[in-house]
Amino acid sequence: MKLHTAEVLHREAFGDHVLLRYRSDAPGGPPEPGQFVSVRPGGSTALDPFLSRPFFVHDSEGTTTSLLFEVRGRGTALLAEASELSVSGPLGRGFTVGGDGPALLLGGGVWVAPLKLLSRSLSRLGVEHEVFLEAPASAPAAYGSWLSGNYPGAELVPTGGAPDASRQVLDRAGDLSRYSAVYVSGGREMLVAAREAAAGRVPAQLAVRERMACASGACYGCAVPVWSGGVRGHARACVEGPVFRGEALAW
Amino acid sequence: MVADLRVELCGIPLRTPLIPAAGTLSRETLGEAADAYGAVLPKTVTPGPRRGNPPPRVAEVASGMVNSIGLQNPGLEGFLRELGGYEVGLPVFVSVAGDTVEEFSGLCARLASEPRVSAVELNLSCPNVEHGGLTFCAGPESVERVVAACRAALPGTPLFAKLASEGVRENSLAAEGTGADALTLVNTIPALTVDPHRREVFLKGGLSGPAIKPVALRSVYEVARLVEVPVIGCGGIASGTDVAEFMLAGAAAVQVGSSSFVREPGDILSELSGYLQGAGLSAAALTGSLRDRERVV
Repeated sequence: MKLHTAEVLHREAFGDHVLLRYRSDAPGGPPEPGQFVSVRPGGSTALDPFLSRPFFVHDSEGTTTSLLFEVRGRGTALLAEASELSVSGPLGRGFTVGGDGPALLLGGGVWVAPLKLLSRSLSRLGVEHEVFLEAPASAPAAYGSWLSGNYPGAELVPTGGAPDASRQVLDRAGDLSRYSAVYVSGGREMLVAAREAAAGRVPAQLAVRERMACASGACYGCAVPVWSGGVRGHARACVEGPVFRGEALAW
Repeated sequence: MVADLRVELCGIPLRTPLIPAAGTLSRETLGEAADAYGAVLPKTVTPGPRRGNPPPRVAEVASGMVNSIGLQNPGLEGFLRELGGYEVGLPVFVSVAGDTVEEFSGLCARLASEPRVSAVELNLSCPNVEHGGLTFCAGPESVERVVAACRAALPGTPLFAKLASEGVRENSLAAEGTGADALTLVNTIPALTVDPHRREVFLKGGLSGPAIKPVALRSVYEVARLVEVPVIGCGGIASGTDVAEFMLAGAAAVQVGSSSFVREPGDILSELSGYLQGAGLSAAALTGSLRDRERVV
């Protein structure tokens, strides 16, 4: 676990959703879309809350990185207020980016986060893509406006928190065989629905979210059920993921 | 001046007293932390591969975490194929666990012929598996059976017994009496977390982190006065002064576990070095050098 100090440059809150931008001179290349960082408040060796929090990299430019996360408890509340962070990463295996297009990007909840960097990477490669994001009913209007501005061209699907919200977003995307690749980052229901819809038709890459402890492959805490050589097993979201091929997941 | 951090454990020279606790070392990032450690200790190995427990496997609690991984590992032969990945010029200690006495001794017999293994640690106290695990720590008789069988299977290699805090005095004496060369104290402590919104058990597992440090420290303190063999302290060690406290209480070396997820082991070692310089002591001289205090009862 290598930790780097980062200075928070900008903070914006939309209800419980927080956008944090920080600067870090940590060595290493730029993050791949779908990679994550493990973050704790900086400037202290206090160990309560004990664990760091894993967040997808939302965007990255030079030495600045931005994160989008939801305040759920004391740990995330402290991070939302921090002026300095201890950051490990970028970590994990992100999305495999490329292909002829068009690609489909589906996002739900706060896990729309990694799709920003993904969309920019696809654009840089000239890969045409469409973005559909679930617009949560619980979030304030400002969050919706921010989503629109931050994901240019994305279609926001107001789901009103319906139980079949994921299905609604998927239905708006239409026939998946029109796409050359599907990238999904959302709640588990959205991942499962998209995987089923894409199965046998188009390669799907799913960004999973799991509770993590070490975030570095040591503890096996972030187990994800996977198929490996026809046998059910567990992969670690932090090093073998967080992005998995749809057919690899044994959910 | 740099403090002398060297210690010796069962005749094995360690360049620092820090050892990763079983299940907390990442092969993927070993290179980043190797400088801080005196030995490498990979995740517990069982005879065959284990898929481990279904998620969720971890939960954060006040100053610590609860885990229930269930000994996910590739099995002994798979582990031996990956062993090269743990060779970074440090002694390699291997943690093993079985469901039966025969499985434990079989693991030891196989490792006896493996020259890359400097010591074997018996995980007699994993709280997260249905069979074996903590049951081997249920009392001195079962500790004696496992340790004696493993000792016979592994005559020429140092053998450590990793024990639970519960019953630690009796079990330590039993392990020492049947041939353990060192005692690792203590494993995670059985714990539970509940999801009050769903009204369900969230996780039944083992508690680790700073929350258990005083419990572990007391186990080390009591057992170090009771046995002749070295004690390896483990449980909530998160700073250089934590290391010093365990060594003062009698530990010859320490294991750093879940705190290595949130602090760099190199920083813990630097803090220890600073402490030793201030005290004018070497790491080896620290062990058991706690001054008597009348009021301690």
